[in-house]
Amino acid sequence: MASEPLLLKNVGIADSWTIDSYLKSGGYEGLKRVLREFEPEAFATEVKNAGLRGRGGAGFPTGVKWGFLPKNKDKPRYLCVNADESEPGTFKDRLLIEENPHLVLEGIIASCFAIECHTAFFYIRGEFHKGYRIFKRAVEEAYEKGLLGKNIQKSGFDLDVILYRGAGAYICGEETALLESLEGKRGLPRLKPPFPALVGLYGCPTIINNVETLANVTLIAERGAEWYASLGRPPKNTGPKLYCVSGHVKKPGVYEAELGIPLMELINERAGGMLHADRPLKAVVPGGSSMKILPASKCDVLMDFDSLMEAGSMLGSAGVMVMDSGTCMVQALLNLARFYAHESCGQCTPCREGTGWLVKILERLESGNGAESDVDLLSDVARKVEGHTICPFGEAIAWPVQSYAAVFRDEYLEHVKRRGCPVGGPSLV
Amino acid sequence: MPDSKPIDPIHPELPTPGSDEVSLLIDGRPIVVKKGTNVLEAAARLGVQVPYYCYHPGLSVAGNCRMCLIEIEKVPKLQIGCATPSTQGMSVKTNTERVLESRQGIMEFLLINHPLDCPICDQAGECGLQQYSAEHGRGFSRFEEEKEHDAKREAIGRDVTFDAERCIKCTRCVRFCDEISQSHELGLFERSDHSIIGTFPGRPLDNPYSGNTVDICPVGALTWTPFRFKARVWFLKNTPSVCAACARGCNIEVAVYKNRIQRLTPRENMEVNRYWMCDAGRSSYEEIAARPRLDRPRVRTGGEAPCAASWDDALEGAAELLKGIVSRHGTKATAAIVSARLTTEDLYVARRTLVDAIGIPRIAVPPHEEGEDDDLLIRRDKTPNARGAELIGLGRPDAGRIKEIAGDVLAGRVRGLVVIGEDPLGDGLLADSALDSLEALIVVDRSVTRTVEVAHVALPSRAWGEVEGTYVNCEGRVQRTRAALRPENESEPVWRVLSDLGRRFGRPSEYASAAHVFDEIVEGQPAFEGLSHKVLGRLGAPVKVE
Repeated sequence: MASEPLLLKNVGIADSWTIDSYLKSGGYEGLKRVLREFEPEAFATEVKNAGLRGRGGAGFPTGVKWGFLPKNKDKPRYLCVNADESEPGTFKDRLLIEENPHLVLEGIIASCFAIECHTAFFYIRGEFHKGYRIFKRAVEEAYEKGLLGKNIQKSGFDLDVILYRGAGAYICGEETALLESLEGKRGLPRLKPPFPALVGLYGCPTIINNVETLANVTLIAERGAEWYASLGRPPKNTGPKLYCVSGHVKKPGVYEAELGIPLMELINERAGGMLHADRPLKAVVPGGSSMKILPASKCDVLMDFDSLMEAGSMLGSAGVMVMDSGTCMVQALLNLARFYAHESCGQCTPCREGTGWLVKILERLESGNGAESDVDLLSDVARKVEGHTICPFGEAIAWPVQSYAAVFRDEYLEHVKRRGCPVGGPSLV
Repeated sequence: MPDSKPIDPIHPELPTPGSDEVSLLIDGRPIVVKKGTNVLEAAARLGVQVPYYCYHPGLSVAGNCRMCLIEIEKVPKLQIGCATPSTQGMSVKTNTERVLESRQGIMEFLLINHPLDCPICDQAGECGLQQYSAEHGRGFSRFEEEKEHDAKREAIGRDVTFDAERCIKCTRCVRFCDEISQSHELGLFERSDHSIIGTFPGRPLDNPYSGNTVDICPVGALTWTPFRFKARVWFLKNTPSVCAACARGCNIEVAVYKNRIQRLTPRENMEVNRYWMCDAGRSSYEEIAARPRLDRPRVRTGGEAPCAASWDDALEGAAELLKGIVSRHGTKATAAIVSARLTTEDLYVARRTLVDAIGIPRIAVPPHEEGEDDDLLIRRDKTPNARGAELIGLGRPDAGRIKEIAGDVLAGRVRGLVVIGEDPLGDGLLADSALDSLEALIVVDRSVTRTVEVAHVALPSRAWGEVEGTYVNCEGRVQRTRAALRPENESEPVWRVLSDLGRRFGRPSEYASAAHVFDEIVEGQPAFEGLSHKVLGRLGAPVKVE
């Protein structure tokens, strides 16, 4: 594995967020190359050839997504940057926005060039006060240097970037809820189809890309598809990735590695190993709170889209949550379930009603008032939510519930038998 | 058909659709529908009822209740029927184990926080939750927890009461206020199982169409305040009829219990009111009930107080008074005021008797206008049958003609006045002093009005809701109004009263029923050509345009 930082190249150097610092390290050369050497469609193909898959969670190939835009251009097209990073256990986009904003901005400009879009919206999580200030400054700097606005670098290409701050709802990270919110409405996911590529922001064709995805576009602009496609585990898991390691490790933080780094290497070598010597690894959630949990026995896995899929989970947002033997799996799930019950937008029945019900069952189990049948009831309620909702929020709660209750079934039953939590620790009830 | 699509190779049994059609399979049965028809509607055409709450054909698709999940061949996830357009060659299954299980799951979710207070809920008996839980539910609840609690009995608007606990957040009411009344009073607030329908500060639900939110509420969350706790709906007898509160003629159901109207609700007629009616129309029965009825004929002689009389004596008295005036002053000393609130049958017999038999030369129809026409249903003309009056030959409602007659009464040129269904004294069209010169004031009315109080002869007529007949609405559509109530007094339909009066002027009393009168109208009036009660059916039919 190469250790050269690509996405985090400037992180840690003085004033890394300023355009001067970014230009000094060769920034915006990639964009200039694209504007000089590529037709829009050719650069879109370049991104497709690079094999870049979306870094927001679903891992959908970015170039293919761009290809869903309609061929005719009777309506304006929009790029919406999803900077509403809110998945528990995920904090990689924040780092990019705060420490390396121009890497993201360069990717935005190159991507807009590729999809022939002249207005990009940067939808940033409302709580990211610092990130907002920094990115706003970065956009202003780019205008000053002729990298945004009319006729960028005399290429004839125009682009405006508009910042918009969210008002604090997890659901607005869902792309169609983001569009609703951006339009000034309540952030409720839309029915699909139509998909945003056809009917998106203000009814116009719209691409929604994650911050890290766009940062990767900059790398492709800089060094080309062939180089990019050689990183990671080609052909389907290419490029560098930011992993957010949290939980019971010595050095929690964001680590960059090529796709396919072994999970245990990430935990033991990058994140400094387990926090307490006497508490071995119990489980890892590899891809942010919505993904299925892996017990320690299954943690010998590579951290890429397809390997994790095979292992029964997903890479998701690469929010790696490490739990040691001191963790109660009922408490851990209850904590998550409360988050989802709080954040459910309330629009559709299964999610609105199901999330609250799950919390109530878990509270009963944790406080020792559960019955054996509750363990199956948890899974069944989750099953009745999964696949029946307007947006993927249904899966985001169903998957953890199903996996925690199945993988740690004995521990759940133990809560019933002992009429309380066998692990102890701080009770959430 | 040259431009039709080739037969689907997977489903060769599918019929070939026309150019604006598609053919598909629903539960293995082929059907051809118009392009754009959603799967729910296509299934309904085959008699396959897919359950739903949030879908309403008159509103945009919200897709939030998730009751109408169906399985589509080659589509991995279940889809909602309301948001799925029918496409050529698609095969839809509405009754697989997977579909039924999901449906049961949704049903269970909808009920976990529902109070299950059916015994005290006005919606009981016509509640989507009751119906579908019987059809698709589990039969028992696995939910042992404390339910979420929320606002009860909240006066959310002028005439609408809200129970947040019963609400299933289908947002039909919100969409109605956004899309139909366009008054935007309602919204969805809060999140998760705390989410709640509500109004914005200082803006209650009081648009002129607010009652429709109650009709389309599939559960007992929104109730029509005047109807609360009035009657269990299974005791209601519904009669299809037409609203008489304005010239639109919205199709309605008249719900009766214990011979009293309990509520009016809109009845679908895509040519007239679609699914809706206005609040004024919805409440119009209350005003009728509130006024004291004229329950038997009255006769007043000289300055005496009016006395009750038999029908024969009253009609005889009226005929003699009128005959006397005609013989002393000629027919030019008579006039009549006739209401456009009467049925076409009433108006027709009025013309036959007053004009043809008695020879009254001048008949005026007073206008009743208020406000303005709006973009939806409400008309400025508050009479249900102004077009009918015109088509029958009584002329349009005309304030000028009333003034003219009133002036002639004051001047003593008109000595005999027949008033049918109007209250010119109460409405200020006729001054009290006019009475001094009138030798005969003959009034036919359902209520004791000021004009009735001073009439020489007052004849009780049946009220709207008690009569059969037709109205011609503002767009020239003939529609039947039906008797939903049994009269509890001696009143008679206006057409019969006038027919009986006409007999005293030598006309045969030839009508057995309002239908009989209608048949004669059809024969003699070109505008009504080709119509019959059968042709009118439940939805009415347009008159011939001249």
